[in-house]
Amino acid sequence: MNNLSKNIIRFFVFVVLQTLIFNQLEIGYGFHLMIHPLFIMLLPFELGVISLMGLAFLMGIVIDIFSNTYGLHASSLVMMAYFRPIVFKFYGPREGYDPLKEPNVFDMGNRWFTFVFGILLLTHHFWFFLIESFELNQLFFVLQKTLFSTVPSFLICLLLQSFLIKKSKTK
Amino acid sequence: MRNLIAFLRRFQIFLIFALLQVISLVIYVQFLSFPRSQYLTTASNVTAKVLTWENDVTKHFDLSKNNYALQHENIRLRERLPEFMYTLSAGKVKVEDTVFQQQYTYIPGTVINSTVTRRNNYFTLNIGTKQGVQPNMGVFSDKGVVGIVHNVSEHYCVVKSVLTKDINIDVVIEPIHLSGILKWDGHDPRRGSIDGISNDLRIKKWSRVVTRGGSGIFPKGIPVGKVERIESIEGEPLWNVVVRYSEDYRTLQRVYVVKNLMIEEQHELEGQIPPDEEEDLLR
Repeated sequence: MNNLSKNIIRFFVFVVLQTLIFNQLEIGYGFHLMIHPLFIMLLPFELGVISLMGLAFLMGIVIDIFSNTYGLHASSLVMMAYFRPIVFKFYGPREGYDPLKEPNVFDMGNRWFTFVFGILLLTHHFWFFLIESFELNQLFFVLQKTLFSTVPSFLICLLLQSFLIKKSKTK
Repeated sequence: MRNLIAFLRRFQIFLIFALLQVISLVIYVQFLSFPRSQYLTTASNVTAKVLTWENDVTKHFDLSKNNYALQHENIRLRERLPEFMYTLSAGKVKVEDTVFQQQYTYIPGTVINSTVTRRNNYFTLNIGTKQGVQPNMGVFSDKGVVGIVHNVSEHYCVVKSVLTKDINIDVVIEPIHLSGILKWDGHDPRRGSIDGISNDLRIKKWSRVVTRGGSGIFPKGIPVGKVERIESIEGEPLWNVVVRYSEDYRTLQRVYVVKNLMIEEQHELEGQIPPDEEEDLLR
């Protein structure tokens, strides 16, 4: 299976998982599980920022249509896609990334994935809840929601990778 | 000119980023208050179809609770039937009723998709223009008020629930008929608050809160909840009245849409009120 068809299938899998399962799990207390940022994270290293942002916008709008949020997911996913190359560059190895590898937890290691995906997920969630509440005097509540949602989302994203990704045989 | 192109090329990435952000935020702000089309909401045909399939599975989760509620509503309605009452004075003359004229009719519907934990929560119903639903109609369930229709397509509609930022439903606190505006602060799906009640008035705890029926969206007296707490707002002569909703929106399934048969008459009459001069100056 080549890269393109793999990512197209992933796109639909993530949309279905997010809209039909994780959007319906409403725990309350500011817990809000979002796993669709993982799709943007797992796109190949060599993809340019502009196509990254285009894909992020497309995916965000599709999820928005299903959850009546009108551009909220699109905005926060584009935000995350914009920061992805910057964070990758900051934490990248000196000789650049191996184009045969994929930015997932098995290829790149726990430490790298925790830092990079943690920062990106935090950015995404913070922007999402900030735009959602649209009031600065609720900043504390926004921060609480961000923290409460990022940690479980991150753990579920870790779990999901073992279902969705075949481990590379080089290890 | 060359400088401009060089500038554009240099900041190409940031400009595209800004463009996409502006597009999504403009859609967000516009649709929040005034949806132009049904295509970006769950009222559109494709999304509503998918959500209906999903609801076919998940609707059974709360089935016993819903059956219980419906059964009790049936009992209440049956008690009002003349066959179930003991006739006290037999043989009276039948009178043609000219005192009452029907003002509200109701359209039953089922919630196929809902959220309760976001800042603005919308419910999608399986009824649309074919059943006579129009935007700005009220929606309630057997236990309490639910929201106002936001957006309609042929077979589906999206309801802006009482769990949104600017829902602003006219409500009254029952025994003393204090009127205020219902708001939601985004924290707890079981509690809302009422704005605009002056703090020299005494409000009893657990007094009933019902709709006022002023704007013609809801009939008078549909339950909203009960007063749970009264807090003073710092620096303002107002109470912050916390209301506990009588409906649990997390398990809501069966709702009714209110159709006001006289709404056009009311709007026509109210449209004749001359606008304030001060507002005209501001415009």
